[in-house]
Amino acid sequence: MKTREEALSRLGASVGVEFGVNGVRRRVGVEGRVTLLDWLRDELGLTGVKKGCDQGACGACTVLVDGKRVVACLMLVAQCDGREVTTVEGVAGVGEAGAVQDAFVRHDAFQCGYCTPGQIMSAIALIGEGRAGTREEIAEFMSGNLCRCGAYPRIRDAIVDAAGGEVG
Amino acid sequence: MTITAPRIGAALDRVEAPLKVTGAALYPNDVSYPGLAHAAPVRATIAAGRVTAIDTAEARAAEGVIAVVTALDAPRLRRGPVTLLGISPPAPLQDDRILHYGQYVAVVVADTAEQARHAASLVAVEYAEDVPMLDIGDPRAEVEDDPWGMDVDRGDLEAGLAEADVVIDETYATPDNTNNPLGLMSTVAVWHGDGSLTVHDATQWPHGVRMSLAETFGVPESRIRVLAPYVGGGFGAGLRAWQHVILAVLAARETGRPVKLVLTRPEMFTGVGYRPESIQRIRIGATRDGRLTALAHEAIAPVALEDDNFEAVSHTSARAYACPNVMTRDRQVRLNIPCPGSMRAPTEAQGNFALESAMDELAVDLGIDPLDLRLRNFAGTDPLTGLPWSSNALRECFARGAELFGWSRRTPEPGSMRDGHWRVGYGLAGASYPPYQVPCQARASLQHDGSAFVRSAATDIGTGTYTVMTQLAAELLGLDVARVRFDLGDTDMPYSPQAGGSGLTGALGNAVRSACRQLLQAFLDVVADDPESPLRGLTLDEVEAGGGGIHRAGDPGSGEAYTAILARHDLAELSADGRSTPPTPDTTAWAGAFGARFVEVRVDADLGVIRVARVVSVIDGGRVLNAKTATSQIVGGTVGGIGQALFEETVTDEGTGRIANATFGDYLIPVNADVPDMEVVFVGGPDTATPLGTKGVGEIGLVGIAAAVANAVHHATGRRLRSLPLTLDALL
Repeated sequence: MKTREEALSRLGASVGVEFGVNGVRRRVGVEGRVTLLDWLRDELGLTGVKKGCDQGACGACTVLVDGKRVVACLMLVAQCDGREVTTVEGVAGVGEAGAVQDAFVRHDAFQCGYCTPGQIMSAIALIGEGRAGTREEIAEFMSGNLCRCGAYPRIRDAIVDAAGGEVG
Repeated sequence: MTITAPRIGAALDRVEAPLKVTGAALYPNDVSYPGLAHAAPVRATIAAGRVTAIDTAEARAAEGVIAVVTALDAPRLRRGPVTLLGISPPAPLQDDRILHYGQYVAVVVADTAEQARHAASLVAVEYAEDVPMLDIGDPRAEVEDDPWGMDVDRGDLEAGLAEADVVIDETYATPDNTNNPLGLMSTVAVWHGDGSLTVHDATQWPHGVRMSLAETFGVPESRIRVLAPYVGGGFGAGLRAWQHVILAVLAARETGRPVKLVLTRPEMFTGVGYRPESIQRIRIGATRDGRLTALAHEAIAPVALEDDNFEAVSHTSARAYACPNVMTRDRQVRLNIPCPGSMRAPTEAQGNFALESAMDELAVDLGIDPLDLRLRNFAGTDPLTGLPWSSNALRECFARGAELFGWSRRTPEPGSMRDGHWRVGYGLAGASYPPYQVPCQARASLQHDGSAFVRSAATDIGTGTYTVMTQLAAELLGLDVARVRFDLGDTDMPYSPQAGGSGLTGALGNAVRSACRQLLQAFLDVVADDPESPLRGLTLDEVEAGGGGIHRAGDPGSGEAYTAILARHDLAELSADGRSTPPTPDTTAWAGAFGARFVEVRVDADLGVIRVARVVSVIDGGRVLNAKTATSQIVGGTVGGIGQALFEETVTDEGTGRIANATFGDYLIPVNADVPDMEVVFVGGPDTATPLGTKGVGEIGLVGIAAAVANAVHHATGRRLRSLPLTLDALL
């Protein structure tokens, strides 16, 4: 069994990783303990990725990894080798993503705005996965993204609208 | 000057929305500086006692560590000042006493956040532990009666109870709730070479933080700049200059580096306030036909040992109904607990649950419809002063809500409505939120290109301040909203009070109104003797703003553009200051917001699962500046109310004072699937107490939901639950 110090020293050791962020290839050496969330924010300045709990419970740091929703606080940079990471900065104003953002604005689907980038990344993935068919479905699949301001009904409105449905 | 303001303002999209949906809005913890260091606090793991030793050797030796400051070696710091929100929290690290679990005992500064957090875990603290006072009934605890001098005695309570045909006497309990804004409270502090200080802080009150830091660090306010352009929610947690803010500024001073301190989610449960638990006894006496003869509301709540918290739980009951004999009592018990603070709808959230539950119990006992019972006891004048309300559309709220909700379809017998295996219940509650306003200032400038810049050091914590103030200034100056920029969140701007107490829109809106009127006056002053101006010699009352300029009232063709006046007089811009003070109506009672909340719950007949299926809210919010953002406030408050009703309870370990559920995995807040679609309608007209006519709507949305849900659960099941949150185990 490893000692605590050995384990910790391994966490602090540098790991070489090569992966894409918003379409740009990155080759980096990074401490093994650094999460994707902190690295995106602190090293790349992609502060649209928000930290709400650092425990995988709130969804504020939702990004897409190879197109799938991931909470960046529970993924280490060291796990990203060979993958493509997309943040809210990488979808701004592009195609469907723009439609989701416009719908969020139109339906006032946020208040303080802190959870919004995560909500939008989840919404984009949801629509892409074909899971935005009904309000019930949206409510269920958006329940990993907390919003303390309480914009949930309007988030549903925005996603229904962006997915091309009728807002009730 | 006349303003024909719409009762419900245009549903303009939020002006800052493009920044928020692209991730470009910079919240305090998004800010970075070259050479930024990171701080992590060390928290006490006991609730009462003393620190006997702190071994920092291992932490200091850890990679990247720059400094470790502890309660045993920290420099002396003064406690912050008494402000309009009361005393400041005690300065951190000032002695060896431990007064609550989670109290800061050290702070570690390192090159990276990971290094700081790791080194903080290496600080070894030894304690001499006392037995903490954690229970509201602890006989050792100091109890203070009537802490704010707000207890009410009206009429003769005992006589009122004696003459009643029916008396309700029940006790209700609400638990600790934790604000939990999504944004982790964060501070970035930078001391500059000239001794000045810049602080980015997730605060609801930049000027409050500045006042506190000036006192604590002995720096003139004029050399401190506090910035909070975006804040990730607050719900009261950002009202004070909490101790972590001081730690960040101290860490920056000690290291000479810019320092960022971001609280963890568990730290958000012990360091930034929370709604304290309450135990409330309600007695209501009524005649057989449902007239209240007596109302007594006695509440007790905890507070920290060396801090204060305004939480007059029972007070609003004295204004709620027309009742001749009323008594309200508040008591606070000092315990070894983190300091409670305001959480969205402080006092009303708890007090209304008890009162409106008791009113429902009375309705059941009397066999009177709960809606009728409330209307029969409607307070047509303010029970405290006897004066007519400055505005009060509560009856209209009930009438409209009943119609929209379909209240008439309710069959009164508990358990009489079913849908398959769901028991269906309809419940309602009345709601009010008292008015609040404190002095505020704003400044408006008209630029040479005809655009306007209006600002005040307020915050927009999601309420829509940026947007509604932009709309308001545009209307007052006669400009398109696209030609107006409203900015906030910077103490270099004119003084603003906090975003809190549902008081900012009124305070700031009236200050913006004042600044805009003063700006129009400044233009009239410039052209007072100008023979080329059609406005020459006119007074403010004789003109209107519109179309990018000023014209004679009722005659848009007789005026001129701002740009023309500025150009002719060789002015790059004209500016004016405005300020507002709280209204002091002497012939009316200043009313806050009112509301009626209608809720349908569904309770699983076998499992006891409670779901909120429908909510209709009708709100008297006075003049509504923006239909979209005001509605969002009510929707959001309702979601908070659903959390209070069904999920939220901060659990403190009995022996240690440790918060047992200090994560989002354990402290449940509503998620998307917990929240139904809901209807929100505004009724009533502009309030007569202020020129603007608004009422705060940030908190009324939460008030009444918990009671309406509890009342609906009773209607669905016949079970009366008097303790929040309402959980399925109580129904089994």
